[in-house]
Amino acid sequence: MSVTINLTLRVWRQKGAQVEGHFEDYKASAIDTDMSFLEMLDVVNEGLTKEGKDPIAFDHDCREGICGMCGAVVNGQAHGPQRGTTLCQLHMRNFKDGETLVIEPWRSAAFPVIKDLAVDRSSFDRIITSGGFISVRTGQAPDAHAIAVGKDKAELAMDAAQCIGCGACVAACPNGAAMLFVSAKVTHLNILPQGAVEGDIRVRHMVTQMDKEGFGNCSNEYECEAACPKSISVSNIARLNTYLRKAKV
Amino acid sequence: MCFPLTSISKKQIVAATGLMLIVFIIVHLIGNLLILGGADLFNNYAEFLDHMRPGTTIAELILAGIFLSHIFFTASLVRENIKARGGFKRYAVDKPVGDRSWATRLMPLSGAYVFFFLIWHIFDFMLAGDEGPRSFILGKSAGLYGVVINSFKDPLHSILYIIAVCFVGLHLAHGVESVVQTWGLDRSKFSRPLVLASRIFGFIIAFGFSSLPFYVMFILR
Amino acid sequence: MSLDSKIPAGALKDKWTNHKFNSKLVNPANKRKYKILVVGTGLAGASAAASLAEMGYQVSSFCFQDSPRRAHSIAAQGGINAAKNYPNDGDSVKRLFYDTIKGGDFRAREANVYRLAEVSNSIIDQCVAQGVPFAREYGGYLDNRSFGGAQVSRTFYARGQTGQQLLLGAYQALMKEVAKKTIQLHTRTEMLDLVVIDGVARGIIVRNLVTGKIESHFGDAVVLGTGGYGNVFYLSTNAKGSNVTATWRAHKKGAYFSNPCYTQIHPTCIPVHGDYQSKLTLMSESLRNDGRVWVPKTSGDKREPHDIPETERDYFLERKYPSFGNLVPRDIASRNAKEQCDAGKGVGSSGQAVYLDFADAIKRLGAGVIKERYSNLFDMYQKITDHNPYKTPMMIYPAVHYTMGGLWVDYNLMSNVPGLFVIGEANFSDHGANRLGASALMQGLADGYFILPYTIGDYLAKVKPSDKSVLAHAEFQKAENVAAAYIKKLLSIKGKRTVDDFHRQLGHLMWEKCGMARNDKGLREALKQIPQIREEFWNNVNVLGTNEEFNQAIERAGRVADFLEFGELLLTDALTREESCGGHFREEYQTPEGEALRRDDLFSYVSAWQFNGVGTAPTLHKEELTYEEVHLAQRSYK
Ligand SMILES: Cc1cc2nc3c(=O)[nH]c(=O)nc-3n(C[C@H](O)[C@H](O)[C@H](O)COP(=O)(O)OP(=O)(O)OC[C@H]3O[C@@H](n4cnc5c(N)ncnc54)[C@H](O)[C@@H]3O)c2cc1C
Ligand code: HEM
Ligand code: HEM
Ligand code: SF4
Ligand code: F3S
Ligand code: FES
Repeated sequence: MSVTINLTLRVWRQKGAQVEGHFEDYKASAIDTDMSFLEMLDVVNEGLTKEGKDPIAFDHDCREGICGMCGAVVNGQAHGPQRGTTLCQLHMRNFKDGETLVIEPWRSAAFPVIKDLAVDRSSFDRIITSGGFISVRTGQAPDAHAIAVGKDKAELAMDAAQCIGCGACVAACPNGAAMLFVSAKVTHLNILPQGAVEGDIRVRHMVTQMDKEGFGNCSNEYECEAACPKSISVSNIARLNTYLRKAKV
Repeated sequence: MCFPLTSISKKQIVAATGLMLIVFIIVHLIGNLLILGGADLFNNYAEFLDHMRPGTTIAELILAGIFLSHIFFTASLVRENIKARGGFKRYAVDKPVGDRSWATRLMPLSGAYVFFFLIWHIFDFMLAGDEGPRSFILGKSAGLYGVVINSFKDPLHSILYIIAVCFVGLHLAHGVESVVQTWGLDRSKFSRPLVLASRIFGFIIAFGFSSLPFYVMFILR
Repeated sequence: MSLDSKIPAGALKDKWTNHKFNSKLVNPANKRKYKILVVGTGLAGASAAASLAEMGYQVSSFCFQDSPRRAHSIAAQGGINAAKNYPNDGDSVKRLFYDTIKGGDFRAREANVYRLAEVSNSIIDQCVAQGVPFAREYGGYLDNRSFGGAQVSRTFYARGQTGQQLLLGAYQALMKEVAKKTIQLHTRTEMLDLVVIDGVARGIIVRNLVTGKIESHFGDAVVLGTGGYGNVFYLSTNAKGSNVTATWRAHKKGAYFSNPCYTQIHPTCIPVHGDYQSKLTLMSESLRNDGRVWVPKTSGDKREPHDIPETERDYFLERKYPSFGNLVPRDIASRNAKEQCDAGKGVGSSGQAVYLDFADAIKRLGAGVIKERYSNLFDMYQKITDHNPYKTPMMIYPAVHYTMGGLWVDYNLMSNVPGLFVIGEANFSDHGANRLGASALMQGLADGYFILPYTIGDYLAKVKPSDKSVLAHAEFQKAENVAAAYIKKLLSIKGKRTVDDFHRQLGHLMWEKCGMARNDKGLREALKQIPQIREEFWNNVNVLGTNEEFNQAIERAGRVADFLEFGELLLTDALTREESCGGHFREEYQTPEGEALRRDDLFSYVSAWQFNGVGTAPTLHKEELTYEEVHLAQRSYK
């Protein structure tokens, strides 16, 4: 029952962070609609390699929508047109025969391009380093049942904790803001009794680091939520705003 | 709040000043609607405000402060945002996934237009001279009332005002709901009604203010 | 060299306590003088790095992804076991121990497994304290679910993303130490070689994947937590980058490789759908709690599933294993699915699938409950296959998932090369011939949080801390040169076939001849073919570009080159193990009912292979397994 389609890809090619990039067009022929987007890129890359041309660099690892390594902007949309889906889980049945797909990397000052579609997201790691953890040492923990956590709080924490750190929120935000990512982590930890203890310091440090990395400011555009493959809600951003407003110095 | 100000704190200043400006704009709208009640009513109101000096002056200074901080912080946020997204031009295809309204997208633009309008507006009405030639109706001064009426008799003048107040309405159609989010209230349960309320409010402001030029141009003549 | 597993004396339940007491300690003031290199940031590597840094050691941490948080542990869905007995259903350390030994088909070390069960409870405590949002009941206490191979509910879970949440916990613990500068983080960095000086592990050679720069790092101990080698089959549930490179190159430097033929095939994966397919996706085993596995009774029945009446369906697992039903261990569930497909009863366009049906569960519990339990899995299934599992039964087929084999380690998790420690999936230690669901996460974290931090101290207390000057040693220079020459060679071939092309060919061969069922003839054939593929690879592979750039083809080529060598060892191990046990099923050795037939008198040992050169037969060392506590029995889940 497999259906195949032909596509034109207009792909951003850039040798490195310091080099100017440009678009190049490639044909992707006889693409099975059961393929994932990355499998389609694999096929194109195999073809390029055989022609002796530099294959398109793109990040990926798990290919099941959980590691957060993949991602590109397809026709202006981070992770492509399907909501709640990473690029690796996006299947070609979402596209029509004869379509042209413009494929670009995440574009943001805080995510410099490494090559082609691969970008450097270490700024996210530095934000976590600034406070995205609970300071407990191995062995210090009391029995798991020492603290009961209400189901509603546990669920809200889990909703936020699902963030895969892919950076699509930044790519989609018209301001290149990392608010959804930061708010998801802060909410996950601050809402739980275990994490509330150092909640004030956490939120101040993480937001300060976020600013330092050169991410933009939120102006409540909600593009991030729409692009987020885990559909992280912007109510986390509201929560972050409250945590920060109330944080004692 | 902590210093140096974080991006979120700056945003919250914008939201707080925005909220104060909302209060002002409501008061200002009500005051202006007194024009519909005729020259005496409106001029009495203007004179009452004048009598309250130096109270009024202080209020005006505070208002100026609010405007200036609103503008100062938004300008700094917007500048940072342009830098953060890596320049004006970003993606080759502009097709956002979200259902972002035009009100949202045009915040900086509507704000900027209002800013230029305001400078003009202050010279236009506040510093016009209540007794000067612009206030003359049928050969004698009709006070501030006369200034406004005469101005709106000029269609070009009116149109510029109408555009301006439409932008104010647009600014607020996003602004009201935005304040709630920025301040950090949990809006998840009333998100839709809030968006609707914000838009209705924006419309009321735009409609309320533009009713005046329309009144002058089409009904008063 | 003889294998000394260093299992402490004494009663099973006292071994670990005594051992900890008898281990040497490093004086707190001296700890910061020791440097430990931890390769891998999965559950094992991240938890180890964080714990060691907290204790005061200097730690360097390495991973090939752009962030430690992306290690493949992130993909684990189902859950993590512990003997907490919160549901009050009769669980205990001893029962978890016994289930794990039995699940492993009596091919694991008793002492290790007992210790694993013993520390399992601390893991849950630790993770909760870190903020891992495990599922809770309305009272605010932790919820448990049941998993294959056990009759108690001992699995803790965080929706269908348990591995992700546990890894984020470990990653955050790691980053907290990065903030304190006790850990030096090296991301997008691949380990290419182990440096052994005078028989002791002293450092590693790595390549910076962005710049291509090849660098040396020295340490007083090297810890490998680099995951499993399932990608030798090309298609597996592993991440694209999962590799054998780190462990294989350590093996080439003298570390023994144990039980490589113990590979686990997971029964519930989305079936293969085309040649272009790049990986297989697991549907968590927890689905078998509510889903019923069936095929049509008559072979070649091509009707749509809902057109097949109840009486014409064969719920073969429930029929054959009434007491465990759909929850039999993975190896049994997988083999049975294959058996049905081989008999022509497979479903779907390829005939290589069986149904996993939720209709009854939806009827019993309502779609809402099923949605709450599995919505993310159902969504994922629908995205990939375009079928709605709420309406039509899922189609599943077994796929390579986990590798029980790995580098040989003693009770202290140290390999036969002093100073080289191996943790997590990369070692062979705790799962015998088959791993039970939800126990790999447990093992990774047990190793990293609670075992290695003690045992490594015992080793370090006996060696002098080294400093930068060892980098001047000729072995480092030599290893760097070898690594650089290797890449240069790959780039110089400029052949006609792509790296993936070779990988697919290797994977296909391994799956056909050494997959769910193996036999002497097939294994010998494969052993003949591998050297040929390898030979062609080194003459005809096409790797473009240069070393001094972000060149993903080089990464892949190096990994596939290692798989091409490693595959041969896997086949050799499978050939020499003339019995069936756990994930290793030799068709020649089965009971009349078709169950795996162990041969305890001959094969109750751990194989530990010594490297003798590429293409040269490796030497087999045996560690005999002795059982004091459990009685060896034919596994029965009937
Ligand atoms: C889809 C899936 C679902 C699973 N579900 C469950 C489950 O429900 N319950 C359960 O208990 N187990 C489950 N498992 C098994 C379990 O997840 C893994 O066995 C376990 O997480 C392995 O952890 P690890 O730390 O050993 O390795 P990994 O998490 O694989 O980490 C390997 C690390 O090593 C690094 N690395 C590898 N090679 C190199 C190199 N050459 N140089 C530098 N760094 C390198 C990587 O960057 C990575 O950081 C599942 C596995 C899969 C694939
Ligand atoms: C005078 C010129 C003005 C300029 C240049 C301006 C500009 C802006 C901009 C750019 C924003 C978006 C900032 C951001 O979210 O990052 C904003 C927000 C806002 N403005 Fe204005 N504005 C002006 C006047 C006004 C007036 C007159 C009002 C009220 C009547 C107002 C009310 C608001 C409100 C409520 C917000 C939303 C704050 C939030 O997002 O939390 N502004 N303004
Ligand atoms: C039809 C529309 C409007 C009319 C008829 C109008 C009328 C006036 C008048 C008559 C004054 C002078 C008051 C005095 O000197 O005492 C004034 C002042 C002012 N107006 Fe307006 N206005 C209109 C719209 C707006 C809008 C949209 C804004 C803001 C965004 C605005 C902001 C101000 C400010 C800041 C002042 C000076 C402060 C004050 O004296 O209160 N006006 N306006
Ligand atoms: S919030 Fe969503 S889009 Fe942003 S990093 Fe997390 S998962 Fe990706
Ligand atoms: S899109 Fe950007 S502006 Fe805020 S709500 Fe999301 S971060
Ligand atoms: S490759 Fe892991 S999320 Fe896409």
